Amino acid sequence: MTTKTTVEIKISGEAIQAQRGETILHALWAAGMAERVKAGCDGGVCGACTVTLRYSDGRAAGTELACMKSVEDGMEVFPCAVEEDAAVAPVVNPQLPALQAAFPTLDRCTKCGSCTAACPMSIPVMDSVLRMQAGELAAVAEDFTTCIHCGLCRFVCEDKVKPHNMGLWVRRSLGMSRNFVAAKTQDAAEQEWQYLLADDRELRLQRARHFRQSGGIAP
Amino acid sequence: MEWAAESLQKVAASRRARLGQPAPQPDSVQSAALLKKYHPDYLGREREVEVGANAGEQKFPLELAQLLEGDSPIDADYVPHPEIETDVLIIGGGGAGAAAALTLDGSGLSVHLATKLRLGDSNTVMAEGGIQSALGDDDSPRRHFADAMVGGHGDNDPDLLRILCEQGPESIRWLSQLGCLFDQNEDGRFRLRGGGGTSVPRVLACRDYTGLEIMRVLKDAVRLSAAQILEEHVAMELVDDGKGQTTGAVLFDRNAGRMVCVSARAVILATGGSGQIRLQGFPTSNHVGATGDGLVLAYRQGCRLVHLDSYQYHPSGVCYPQALVGQLVTEAIRSMGAQVVNAAGAHFIDAMVYRDVLTAAVIKETAQGRGVKTPHGKVGVWLDTPMVDLKNGAGTLSRRFPGLTHRFGRYDIDPARQPILIYPTLHYQNGGVRVDSECRTDVVGLWACGEVTGGLHGKNRLMGNSLLDITVFGRRSAQSVLRNIPKRGAVTLNRLRQFRSQQKKIKSATVSPIFFPAASGMKLNPAPVQEQRASETAADVADTDTDTDADDREPPNPFNF
Repeated sequence: MTTKTTVEIKISGEAIQAQRGETILHALWAAGMAERVKAGCDGGVCGACTVTLRYSDGRAAGTELACMKSVEDGMEVFPCAVEEDAAVAPVVNPQLPALQAAFPTLDRCTKCGSCTAACPMSIPVMDSVLRMQAGELAAVAEDFTTCIHCGLCRFVCEDKVKPHNMGLWVRRSLGMSRNFVAAKTQDAAEQEWQYLLADDRELRLQRARHFRQSGGIAP
Repeated sequence: MEWAAESLQKVAASRRARLGQPAPQPDSVQSAALLKKYHPDYLGREREVEVGANAGEQKFPLELAQLLEGDSPIDADYVPHPEIETDVLIIGGGGAGAAAALTLDGSGLSVHLATKLRLGDSNTVMAEGGIQSALGDDDSPRRHFADAMVGGHGDNDPDLLRILCEQGPESIRWLSQLGCLFDQNEDGRFRLRGGGGTSVPRVLACRDYTGLEIMRVLKDAVRLSAAQILEEHVAMELVDDGKGQTTGAVLFDRNAGRMVCVSARAVILATGGSGQIRLQGFPTSNHVGATGDGLVLAYRQGCRLVHLDSYQYHPSGVCYPQALVGQLVTEAIRSMGAQVVNAAGAHFIDAMVYRDVLTAAVIKETAQGRGVKTPHGKVGVWLDTPMVDLKNGAGTLSRRFPGLTHRFGRYDIDPARQPILIYPTLHYQNGGVRVDSECRTDVVGLWACGEVTGGLHGKNRLMGNSLLDITVFGRRSAQSVLRNIPKRGAVTLNRLRQFRSQQKKIKSATVSPIFFPAASGMKLNPAPVQEQRASETAADVADTDTDTDADDREPPNPFNF
C-alpha cells in the first residue's frame, strides 16, 4: 500500500502543496505564505492563528487553529484574525448583576450554539453562557479553565455576546475574591541562609545536597 | 498507531509489573557519565566568539555564536530620530514584560511595552506544569534554594536564587490577587505537587495550563493599565546616549512596514529565550518569537552574557504525531506516575531524575537502538501515561491534564489508554544576559528579566522555576527602575557603530537577530515605497513648525538585507 506524501490545500483560493501530517501553519510557512495567518505560540494556546476551514468531503465548515490542525486533501483555508476586545475590569465577590452590568449583551444569547461549535478547545461555551445567565459563576470558571482567548466564540456570535471575555472576567473576579493564607513565619531562617550561602562553590553545593535531603542544617 | 503495535503490546504487558518495582536510579557518577556522553550541551558543538564583551572568554553553541557575531539589519546611514518619547520601554510581551508593566502602573512614569507578536504570545503562555513556591508545611525558601542549587549543578548565582525562593510565597499572593486560580485541595489550600528535583511538594498549578492561566490574567491586567502596548513592533536595535547609556530602541512596526525610534529613560529587556534557533537541529517547545533577539541586542550594547553554553532540552517533547513534534508534555505527568520506558517495555530510568539526566538517558536509549521509529523517521521512547490512572484512579489523567488529553485527542490518541512517544525538545535557555540582584545589566539604562537573563538557574532549571522567575524578576526589574531611573539622554547608534568596527574585522555574512524562525520565512517587510511617500508627506504637513532640513532626514526604511 502506498500513501501519497503530499496533499493539496487552498489558502484563500490559492492552491498549495503540503506534506501529509504537517499542520496548516507549517504548510503555509513552507509555501512562503507565513504572512497570511498570524503565528504566536505554534502550540495551540495563544489563539493567534485562527482560520476558517471548508472540507471537500461534505463535513460542515468550521473554525480552527492553524497550528493544531493537520492538512487534508482538498481543504480550503481562510485566514480569520480576531481583534481583541477592550478588557473589562474584574470585581471582588462577583454576582450576576455585576456580570450583567459589565457585559450588557449577556442576555441576548439566542442559544444558536455557534460559539460551542467554533471553540477549538471544545469548551461547552453556549451551556456556559446559560450558566452565566443563571449566575452559576463557579461552574463558569471551571468551564473556561482551558480558554485560550482566541475570541472565535465572540467572532461567530451574531448577538455580540462575548463568552471568552465573560469567562475571563468571572475567573479573575473569583480569583481575586479568594482568601490568600500568608505563609507562616519561619524560625532559624537567617541561620539556615548563612549555612546555604557558603562562599565556596563546592561547599555550597555539598550543603545544598545535605539540606534538601534532611530539610535543615542538623546532621 | 499500527506501526507501533508490537511495542505498544510489550509496554502494556509490562505495566502492572513495573507499577510496584523500584525505578532504576543512576547515582551521581552514572549521571555525570550519561550527561557527558549524550547530553547535547556536552558534545563540543560550541565555540568562542571573536567580538564583543565575551570575546575569547567563554563558549557559545555554534548557532548562537554566529548570531552574536552578526551584523545589524540597520543601514549604516540610518540616523535615529525618536518619534515616541516614554519613561520606560519594556521590550517583550510575555510574563516578565507584563509583570514589569503592571508594577510600573500608577507610578507616574509613562510606560510603553513593545512586542513583536501580540501581547501574551510567549513561552509563558505555553508553560504547563506549574510554578514553585515554598508554601508546604515541611518546606521553606531555603529548601527551595537547596533543591534548585543542586539541580543547577551548583552554578546558580546564589544571590539571585535566594531572591527567587524568598519571593515565592509573595509572588503567589500577587498573582492570586490579580485573579489567578491555582488548583486547590478540598480544604481550600493550594494543591502542591512534586517536580523533578523537588525534595518536597512545591509546585502549584492550574491543571496543565498554568502558564496560560498566568498569562491571560497578566495580559488582561496590562490591557487595563495605563501602559501603551505596541503590538507587532519588533525591537531591531537598542540606542544609546553616545556615552554608553541605553536610551531607547529602534523598533520595526510590522503593520505599517516602517521603523519607529523610541526614546526612553529606562529600557527593560524581557525578550525571552531562543529555542527557535534550533540548536543541533532539535525540535523546540518554544513559541514563534523565541529567536534570542534580546541576547544579540544586549550584546551589541556591551552586556556580558553568562551560562549560554547551557540549554535545557526537556526530556518529554512530543515525537508523534508529526504535527505536534517538539511540543511539550509536562513533567507533572511524570510526577503523577507516568514512567519512561523503551520499545521493549523496559523501565530504564526513574522518570523524576533531573531533566538533563533524563534527556541524556532518552537519547542514549534511542541511540542504542531501543527506541521506537515513527512513520516520519523520528525515534523516541514511551511515556507510559496510562500509569497515571492506574496509580491514582480512573479519570485522574483527563481531569488533571485536560490540555494533554485535548491535544492528543485531536489525533485519536487517548493518553489515558495508550502511551505517548517522546523525544527531548529544546525548551529553555538556561543562560543569558548577566544581571545583578536588581536586574541591572552591565549597561546603565538597561535592565533585563526573565528567560533572557542568565545565572539564576545555573546549568539546569527545575520545573516551575521559570514562571516564578518571570513573576519575581519582572516585578523586581520595575522596582529597580523606579528607584534608579536615569535622566533622558540623547539617542544615537554609537554602541552599534563601535560594535560594527570590531565586527567588520571578522568575516561574517550573518545578519542578526533573525526575529522569526528560519522555517517560517517571516521577515520584516517594509511597506511599498509609494505608501511611505504618502505617510511622509502627511508627517510633513503636520510638522509645519519644525525647521528640520529635509536633506537631513533618514531614508524611510534603510535595511541592509
